[in-house]
Amino acid sequence: MSLIPDSYFDYPLRKKGMDHDRYAARYLRDVPAFQWQGGKTLLVWATVHLEHFPMDMPASPVKPIGGMDRPYPSVWDYSTRDYGNRVGIERLFKVLDKHGVKATAAMNSALAPRYPYLMQEIVKRGWEVAAAGVDMGHLHHSQLTEEVEKALVTEAFATLRAASGQAVTGWHSPSHSQSALTPDLVADAGAKYLCDWINDDLPYAFHTRAGDLTHLPLSYDLSDHKILGLQNMPIDDYEYQLDAAFDVLLDESRLRGGRILSLSLSPWIIAQPGRIDALDRLLGRFLAADGVASATGEEIRSQWDALGIA
Amino acid sequence: MTQWREPFAYDHAPYAGRPKIEWPNGARVAFWVAPNIEFYELAPPPSPTRAVWYRPEPDILNYSMRDYGNRVGFDRMADVMAKYGVRGSVSLNVAVCDHFPEIIERCCELEWELFSHGVYNTRYLYNMTEDQQREIIRQSRETIKRASGQDLDGWLSPAISNGETTQDLLAEEGIKYTLDLFHDDQPMPVKTRSKNRLVSVPYMMECNDVPVLNFKNISPKNYLEIIKTHFDRLYAEGEESGTVMCVPLHPYLIGQPHRLHILDEALKYVTGHDKVWLATGREIAAHFEANYYDSFTDWMKPFNPEQPA
Repeated sequence: MSLIPDSYFDYPLRKKGMDHDRYAARYLRDVPAFQWQGGKTLLVWATVHLEHFPMDMPASPVKPIGGMDRPYPSVWDYSTRDYGNRVGIERLFKVLDKHGVKATAAMNSALAPRYPYLMQEIVKRGWEVAAAGVDMGHLHHSQLTEEVEKALVTEAFATLRAASGQAVTGWHSPSHSQSALTPDLVADAGAKYLCDWINDDLPYAFHTRAGDLTHLPLSYDLSDHKILGLQNMPIDDYEYQLDAAFDVLLDESRLRGGRILSLSLSPWIIAQPGRIDALDRLLGRFLAADGVASATGEEIRSQWDALGIA
Repeated sequence: MTQWREPFAYDHAPYAGRPKIEWPNGARVAFWVAPNIEFYELAPPPSPTRAVWYRPEPDILNYSMRDYGNRVGFDRMADVMAKYGVRGSVSLNVAVCDHFPEIIERCCELEWELFSHGVYNTRYLYNMTEDQQREIIRQSRETIKRASGQDLDGWLSPAISNGETTQDLLAEEGIKYTLDLFHDDQPMPVKTRSKNRLVSVPYMMECNDVPVLNFKNISPKNYLEIIKTHFDRLYAEGEESGTVMCVPLHPYLIGQPHRLHILDEALKYVTGHDKVWLATGREIAAHFEANYYDSFTDWMKPFNPEQPA
């Protein structure tokens, strides 16, 4: 008898569109041409990941992106990451302030009570706070019960809303890892957008049991985590790829309608002394171009939703 | 001593003194681009041999990375290819015909070839009986015919998950050429148990964006250099006997904004040479089969003494 059962050759989901009901198939090419507010064509969305990596965090069932490389207690790994929350973030504040960029701070909620100074500086600058789970040791995945996962989502939103005084409408699942229920729980908690799937360059409607969320395109292949952290490329290759992406998206935004360039930034990675100047140069070039502006995730969501595009 | 298992799908052929391959119009290199247009299922049935996803399901990170190719990357990639008059030979998960018929329509408008890369990229041939593999081949033939009117001539096993007799089955089912063998820079006869002819056409992993960009983490600018130098060598050697160069692509990688320029510059470079035949996989296989299959088969015989059973 074959190890492959006859049922393997039934394809109940082989039909037009997706093989799930979270979102509809859509080709970017078919999105009608539009402009962002103020006649802008390309919005630069800077997302700053503020992450807490507990020293004894688990490495399974999902290996966290940027998780500990060595056995407990690895002060090397822990302090390298925490560097971002002390030194790196200050460099990012300076560079983003210089270019007038208000970022979305995608925060692990554990950081709010640990480092109140961070939240104070973020709020003072008018950055947007988005919820990014509790900490990097608590990833969302399908081996969690709904009750346990709901507690994580609730905790993240409640803590960040209380500490920031903001509505906190955005959600990013740490390490881009979701369970089958995460979007529903996030919608239950009153979020308006999420940014975990890496399948598009524009927002789209994302269906949940509590109504539609807007899905925003947070980059992964262009993130500092991926290029500098996982792929170990030198900073020149980061700058080169961001420049190349900008060129294509800017041209496309003028020819075919509004686009978003997502900068996914982690202070412990991009804000090392030998790397931060590259970001400074990139932002200088991006924002000097006609039709380019920066925006936060919530600003992009509200502009997009107002366009009424499917 | 342990006797190793070996499928023996091809005979040995030194890369010296071969019969001279002449491509149409005196070209030195038959250049072809193979976009892999794929569908990875979010919740595929499990495989007994290989984990389908990297993370516990739903692996939304890896699923959505690939979904980008169909939503966004395909059109960008197709635009650049059309700009240089380069047709694609699509390594197609045939279920895409059902999920995304608009993509297939555009491939047909561009006069691209469609060949089979299985039904889904999350359905491997591992552990399948011969009849089950035949079922996949026949389904591929029917689906491609229905969606495009084209005959199914070529084959790349989904995720290169072939079994010991897959090449035999391909020949028996009337497939003309296979891409599963990475042993040569020229087309070659494939040794199968049937009398039907099967040609292997070079499909180059060295220039494939998945291993280059995803597995080896090579920077896009170095990927462009790999393609150019690969081409330069094959173009030089093609003066002696025609070579094949293939660039296998995946729209979810090459169609991203930070990588699209690689394709543009690579195609500009290749099409800037005059002795290049811009071909499809089917055309390369047919030209070889009609003109060189017999001479290569005869020429190879002395290099392949009978092996003890």
